[in-house]
Amino acid sequence: MSVELPADADAVQTPEEIEAVLGDLVIGRDDHENAPGFIIKPDTVVDALDRLREQAGFDHLSCVTAQEYADRYESIYHLTSYGDRTKEVSIIVPTDKENPVSQSANEVFRTADWHEREAYDLVGIEYDEHPDLRRILLPETWQGHPLGQSYDQDRPQVVPLREHANPLKEDQQADEDDETMFLNIGPHHPATHGVLHIETVLDGEQVVDLEPDIGYLHRCEEQVCQNSTYRYQIMPYPDRWDYISAGLLNEWAYARTAEQLADIEVPEYAQVIRTMGAELCRMAAHFLALGTFALDIYGDFTALFMYSIRDREKVQNILEELTGQRLMFNYFRLGGVVWDLPEPREEFFEMTRDFLDELPTALEEYHDMMTSNEILQMRTVDTGVLPADVAKSYGATGPVARASGIDYDVRRDDPYGYYENLDWDVITEDGCDNFSRLLVRMREVEESAKIVEQCIDLLEDWPEDERNIQSNVPRTIKPDDDAEIYKAVEGAKGELGIYMRADGTEKPARFKIRSPCFSNLQTLPEMSNGEYVPDAIASLGSLDIVLGEVDR
Amino acid sequence: MAGLLQGEAMLPEQIAGLLGLSGTVGAAVGAFIGAFIVGNVMLAQTGVAGPWAKRKITAGFTDRIAVNRIGPFGLFIIVADAIRLLSKELIVPEGADRPSYDLAPLILPASAMLGFAVIPMGNLGPFNIQLADPEAGLALVFAFASIASVSLVMGGYASNNKYSLMGGLRAVAQNIAYEIPLIVTAMSVVVFAGSLQMGEIVAAQTGTLVSVAGVSIPSWFAFVNPFAFVLFLVANMAEIGRNPFDIPEAPTEIVAGYQTEYSSVYFVLFYLGEFLHVFLGGAIMATIFLGGPAGPVLPGFVWFIIKIWAFFLFTQWCRSALPRVRIDQLIEIGWKGMLVLSFANLVLTAIIVGVIA
Repeated sequence: MSVELPADADAVQTPEEIEAVLGDLVIGRDDHENAPGFIIKPDTVVDALDRLREQAGFDHLSCVTAQEYADRYESIYHLTSYGDRTKEVSIIVPTDKENPVSQSANEVFRTADWHEREAYDLVGIEYDEHPDLRRILLPETWQGHPLGQSYDQDRPQVVPLREHANPLKEDQQADEDDETMFLNIGPHHPATHGVLHIETVLDGEQVVDLEPDIGYLHRCEEQVCQNSTYRYQIMPYPDRWDYISAGLLNEWAYARTAEQLADIEVPEYAQVIRTMGAELCRMAAHFLALGTFALDIYGDFTALFMYSIRDREKVQNILEELTGQRLMFNYFRLGGVVWDLPEPREEFFEMTRDFLDELPTALEEYHDMMTSNEILQMRTVDTGVLPADVAKSYGATGPVARASGIDYDVRRDDPYGYYENLDWDVITEDGCDNFSRLLVRMREVEESAKIVEQCIDLLEDWPEDERNIQSNVPRTIKPDDDAEIYKAVEGAKGELGIYMRADGTEKPARFKIRSPCFSNLQTLPEMSNGEYVPDAIASLGSLDIVLGEVDR
Repeated sequence: MAGLLQGEAMLPEQIAGLLGLSGTVGAAVGAFIGAFIVGNVMLAQTGVAGPWAKRKITAGFTDRIAVNRIGPFGLFIIVADAIRLLSKELIVPEGADRPSYDLAPLILPASAMLGFAVIPMGNLGPFNIQLADPEAGLALVFAFASIASVSLVMGGYASNNKYSLMGGLRAVAQNIAYEIPLIVTAMSVVVFAGSLQMGEIVAAQTGTLVSVAGVSIPSWFAFVNPFAFVLFLVANMAEIGRNPFDIPEAPTEIVAGYQTEYSSVYFVLFYLGEFLHVFLGGAIMATIFLGGPAGPVLPGFVWFIIKIWAFFLFTQWCRSALPRVRIDQLIEIGWKGMLVLSFANLVLTAIIVGVIA
């Protein structure tokens, strides 16, 4: 072996060094647009990922993509590092068509649990040594794997309610001397913010075991995108993933990935508009997170909920001026944005400035009523604790990770848009608890306001003849056959990544969404076990999940 | 005639006198009519409070407008809501424990209504609005008020729903933790007044505590012993299960607690019962700490109503502004904090009263 390995794991950077770490496990290379890709055998997954984590500093399993080719199945582990987001590697695990069994990565990264269940559910790869390989998004009685090639798309499948597992059935046959009680929280429950079902085992008021059951809002978003063209048809769908005003952030995830895949430049002016719009979306999303968290703690539609809705409403109005829509913006285009700022521009700037001027007062009010409230502190400090190493193992990102002291933000660590040129900070808190997650979101609103303000200043002074909102993009985009890419942006809830594989046509052959909520929700049992029911509810609220994004 | 309408006589006697009845028949008829009047006044207040005032107050706290479409200030929403709620389907869950499932929503409002029997509500014109003034009045009103938890447990258990069961259990734990500090704090007032009789307690608060620049502050027990007042206020909030102590209901945690499975008329009865208990809590506060019906210019009864509505407003303020405490924290506050403080208050009061008297 000719490559000298650096002593420090974080210093492993080049593909050659990574290959040296993997050593004889590598059986081939298949580089992606964003990262080197190494092919390994299906029974060496744990070994390979463990080596990469321990010796090369790849401590973040961002996503697991599964797909079926004509001759094989493939699982791709997209690895990166919390310390250095630009350091990426894809581990490709092909399995044969007849017997698609691959080793589970669950032992190295806990986040693989759900990701592999999804791969099994939708594509049909089986994971050996997986602790609980069940369907995750589709009903348990579903026939076939919808994203597999042999799946009959035209055969309707009706799954009546009686075919669903009845969690109460077993419970009622529990032992006489069993001290615990089984409780279904959801799918219809005031605190689930959507249709989420949490199977809970209680000992009195304390949570012994808790398991989120998702999939109630699965809308085949990945398949919808696979059936749509890159140029125009995919862009409206991201708005529907995290539909809590985070639309532009989601659109950016697709725009960034597709632009890099198809080599499209974005004019600087459009980047500034995108940055401003995205941060407005982040503020709106955080306001709602704040309000619903208050709802979970206060237990009623209280003043705080209304105040946060009021402030979100102001952001919505600005976004409506900008995009013409209040929720499903559809504002980004590949190569830029759909139109320029609304005329007269002065009015738009004034409207946005007014909002930014009022914001400190509003935030002061939140701090007075929430963070400095002793009862709230009593309820949230040291509850729902998520230590940093657990958070990393589960692939937690966004405010959830940053509240556990993980200094990780895709906007800064893998820069895109105009963020590099602006002055703002990544917020972290060390509390690891519900209170820290609340604080992080509130402080992030301030940072977003800083970014929006700088963007406004830039846009105001932008020379009129250089306002180029879109670059020249061909009407039909056909990326090279077999080009693969995985790219992420910082969504409102965390790292929102997209994997795309091109097959030479104008539609992606595989479109995979890495939802931050999906990974973050997996940490709920870690936070809640052993705590009281109200704390479990508070932890769920502090994760700020949107089921539309969890289930896709 | 004039003799019959003297302040000393209770409302039933006055009514019997007006009707020219006497003896057992007079007492029975008078008591029935008197109770009918007092009961309906209280029910009418909850009717205003539930569908209308609560919405308006909460809207005021949250910068909204709330009901304003039907009638002046949206007042006719009361009628609309009454029809809506009563015409809904009554859903009884499978496996509900029938007699107790049906009885629970009746017991809650009934227990609160009984409590009003001994509350002195002051004069309205020639009438003295008080049904009875037994010697153990204060003990009686607490006894009536605590029947409420029986109803919550019955409803929670009989619903055959785990959330309801948890709500019922929480209600018991909460009531036990708070009833003792509540009553012990009330005892300190009894030590001052030297009587359990509600009329005597009100009478003991008629003096002047201090006069500042011509304005005399009455010797209401809230001014005499503000510490006891605050203790009682907190314990009372927990007793009637309002925020931040609305733990037996705790929407977002256990859906709606004991009333999860109740709909239509049964739900209305629970809802009514809760409001009646809030008003009863306010009535007890007013009687033993705020001088009962005492107040300048306006008739005593009006002052009394103002005082209990002030308490209602306070509960709504807390609802809009305070987070809910957790059940274990509540129990801890009750047993480790409130209980100790209330006994300290009682002992201190006893010593002070003993030294002065």
